[in-house]
Amino acid sequence: MLSLVKELCLLNGVSSGEDEVRAFIREKAAPYAEAMRTDALGNLIVFKKGAKATGNKLMLTAHMDEVGFIVNDITEDGYLKFAPVGGIDPRVVIGKRVSVGLGRVQGAIGLKAYHLVSAEEEKNVPKFEDMYIDIGARDRADAEAAVSLGALVAFESDAVEFGYGMFKAKAIDDRVGCAVMLKLLEEELPMDCTFVFSTQEEVGTRGAFGAAFSVTPEIALVLEGTTAADLPGTDSHRQVAVPGRGPVLSFMDGGTVYDRELFELMRELGEKHQIPWQLKSGISGGNDASAVQRTKEGVRVAAMSVAVRYLHAPSSVACVQDFDHMHALARKWIEAVACL
Amino acid sequence: MDILKTLQSLNACHGPSGDEAEVASLLEKLAMPFVDECRRDTMGNLIAHKKGAGSRVLFAAHMDSIGFIATYIEKEGFVRFCKVGGLHAPDLIATPVRFKNGVRGVICLNEGVEPKEMTLEDLYIDIGAHDEEEARAMVGIGDTAVYDTPTFGAGDRLVSPYMDNRISCIVLLMAMEQFQKSENDLYFVFTVQEELGLRGAKTAAYAIDPDYGIAVDVTVSADELGSKHSGSSRLGGGAAIKVMDSSIICHPEMVSKLSALAGERGIDVQMDVIRSGGTDAGSIYTTKMGVLTGGISIPCRYVHTPQEMVDRGDVEACARLVCAFAEASL
Amino acid sequence: MNIRETLGTLSAMAGPSGFEHPVAEQAAGLMRPFLDEANVDRFGNAVGVRLCGKPGAPRLLLDAHLDEIGLMVTGVEDGFLRFRTIGGVDPRMLPDRELTVLTHPSILGVVTCLPPHVLKPGDTKKAIPISELRVDIGMDQKEAERTVPIGTPMVFRGGCFDLKNGRLCGKSMDDRSCFTILLRTAELLKDKPLDVDLYVMGSTREEVSGAGAKVGTYGIHPDYCVAVDVTHAKTPDMGKGRRSNIGGGPQIGVGPNMTRWMTERMVGKARELGIPYDLEVMEGHTGTNGWHMQIVREGVATSVVSLPLKYMHSPIEVLDLADIEQTAQLLAAFAEHLGKEAGSIC
Repeated sequence: MLSLVKELCLLNGVSSGEDEVRAFIREKAAPYAEAMRTDALGNLIVFKKGAKATGNKLMLTAHMDEVGFIVNDITEDGYLKFAPVGGIDPRVVIGKRVSVGLGRVQGAIGLKAYHLVSAEEEKNVPKFEDMYIDIGARDRADAEAAVSLGALVAFESDAVEFGYGMFKAKAIDDRVGCAVMLKLLEEELPMDCTFVFSTQEEVGTRGAFGAAFSVTPEIALVLEGTTAADLPGTDSHRQVAVPGRGPVLSFMDGGTVYDRELFELMRELGEKHQIPWQLKSGISGGNDASAVQRTKEGVRVAAMSVAVRYLHAPSSVACVQDFDHMHALARKWIEAVACL
Repeated sequence: MDILKTLQSLNACHGPSGDEAEVASLLEKLAMPFVDECRRDTMGNLIAHKKGAGSRVLFAAHMDSIGFIATYIEKEGFVRFCKVGGLHAPDLIATPVRFKNGVRGVICLNEGVEPKEMTLEDLYIDIGAHDEEEARAMVGIGDTAVYDTPTFGAGDRLVSPYMDNRISCIVLLMAMEQFQKSENDLYFVFTVQEELGLRGAKTAAYAIDPDYGIAVDVTVSADELGSKHSGSSRLGGGAAIKVMDSSIICHPEMVSKLSALAGERGIDVQMDVIRSGGTDAGSIYTTKMGVLTGGISIPCRYVHTPQEMVDRGDVEACARLVCAFAEASL
Repeated sequence: MNIRETLGTLSAMAGPSGFEHPVAEQAAGLMRPFLDEANVDRFGNAVGVRLCGKPGAPRLLLDAHLDEIGLMVTGVEDGFLRFRTIGGVDPRMLPDRELTVLTHPSILGVVTCLPPHVLKPGDTKKAIPISELRVDIGMDQKEAERTVPIGTPMVFRGGCFDLKNGRLCGKSMDDRSCFTILLRTAELLKDKPLDVDLYVMGSTREEVSGAGAKVGTYGIHPDYCVAVDVTHAKTPDMGKGRRSNIGGGPQIGVGPNMTRWMTERMVGKARELGIPYDLEVMEGHTGTNGWHMQIVREGVATSVVSLPLKYMHSPIEVLDLADIEQTAQLLAAFAEHLGKEAGSIC
């Protein structure tokens, strides 16, 4: 699992530019898929047969895209101006390495040298419109030869283990979900299952609408990465989730009230099979479930997530064991759903 | 139908957004005598269907209420919560609440916080537990609570929590009771999760695919002391015909149709334009190829506070207007 | 067709979001000469279609919205009208602004403002919030109540007039100028064979919700769609960010809302025909119907093409008529052979 997550995190797939990730997943999934298609928004939809022929009843989803930036201007001096794609805190961006476009042109988000920063300026965070990416170009023409307007920019961040069983990389949200789905795809499943590797979740769960509409499942499970704010100095009731305590089971977030029965099922199975699990101490955020639940005549939705520190930043941190626990719990849950 | 008694029964049920089953059961019992069939859909909407061969009409009244959801238990036994639907922190101080399992408590403000600067995160529910262990035995993370305030009459006005939207559910029941006959194929839908963003109505409307939709909901009146006129109606002015809110501009044909019906039947009406606040109409009208949609609103004061107020005459006028549309040739 | 005349007529019509019917009827009539048929659908959108004759041909939908921003009466006080906005009306545009109050027949209204003589020092520096503005219709309370029901819509008074150099100035350029582009596109294609079924829509309610585009797209069920709307052109007081001047040709949208192969095709055609253009990078919600259309049903391959416009959402929106012709040329080129040449996401 860990090496799969590593490979996936190293791929670039900023929302709407998921090509690399889609190609990788398509190749891995092909041997196990009964049918595979890509739709108008780039979702990769994989149908796998299981022991029970239940057709489109069950759908699993994880999104392929990550947050990043898009080049929206090139200055006379050859710097790239950009805007965030998805929700990014400007404070985690200054001075970070980036990878621009399909050619992965290397760059850094530049800033004025510290010596030149006044005491007043140090207190304020520059806005995205004031920042720029330096790719080492001499001037505009030189930059334009390497990079086009509209190029997508990903964080540049390696994927490594550190500390005790911890993992650092970009895009753990939601390559971990994709990895769990790929693992499940390789296994014998108790029922038919449609795996949706969705696009553009980070800019408004955009891919999920059309995917759910075309699949029209009865039950759906979303596999995600979610915020862990377990830092010293954060009140306990604001910590949301903690890496290492197992997958986070959702009963409600900003976009969805999850199906109670399916949520209780996850909890019971965790207890029964001694898979650690936790609840979020807060109602916030959203994921593809909000698009899926209200599709057509309604879909029963559930979600489980890996707790990730520094979400939507280049150096996200999660606990390796949580990846396996999420896989194990998802597996048990599918077995139980097959009997519903 | 005894409006006050029915309202008291409905409010005794637990039905915050996402957990409406109790209210749905009672409404199903009350509605069944007037319709051909009742069913619940995937999201929990209650659909009461009175069959007809003619145009399909969907009347929607949401049965969910705003409420609270427990998210954390402090070591002292206090319960932290998040909002279910739109809550305004200053409205909540010293408000009694009750959980689904019957545990009762009161909402308190962290004493170290100035009321002027408070947010929802500074509030907590005191359920009288001595410590965290005792609290955990009483309330679980994810448990929901609702306002536990009284429902009573005050002259020709009614005061209760959740006028938004239990009074509209009663309006639908009254209309069903008064209904004589017509060709129309009528769907009286008690929707779920409106307070979270008009969610239930979307899937109910998709399944029914009506020709016409009418959302019945309360609307912010403009007659409180010092009113900033974010609404255009007043208590006692009659049924408010919705023209515009933040979720929809009603089709002019629906507005004129409702006005004409009111005129024909001598029902007092007024126009309803509010600056903020949406209703199920906003979900219904964009169903599939679009639905001609309007709204019949009950003017209401103190919306989303523990004690909202409506006028009995307005409630009756709304019921008559709903009935008129149900019987109209469309 | 005479672009200036067509746009002049459309600009002068009153059709705020939710009340577009007369404009929709006009729009359907204007489409008929260039398409097989055009009508106003049940929801209020004007929809025209030209079938290419090939069975199972893919569908292309071109959309521009017919509605304009406006105001709505919320109360009558001492004969003056209280109101709220319909869509993004800049309150600073309002003091002493002339309006058409859409009663039957319509009447003139003037938005109130206190004269300089009675203002306190400092008052002229503050923008007046809408809740404090009123509309003067020259009546007393009784007359006003009788004449103007609550819920009556209002629009900026007037239409448009000519500036130098083929520039046009007026209300509702957003987005009737783009509907005019669609008419011209349909005209350019009239005698050319197509391999897609062409749908042209004048949608309603874009300024408030995009509801018209949503339901219209659901009904038409296209494979490809292009939302044509206006975008901000450079003005002297603009902040940072890349903006084009009017007269620079269409702006082709790039970003998550725009399907990349569609964008590439649009750019390719512009280059092929020597049409001046620029790229408009939009990182999220494009503020156009394209945002809603892209996720209808199973999802639709989407492009957003924009006409540069100065002073958007004012009664003095300014555009360059040459841009209308250029954009129509581009859209026509995009539509030709689209069936055969369409790309896909792989």
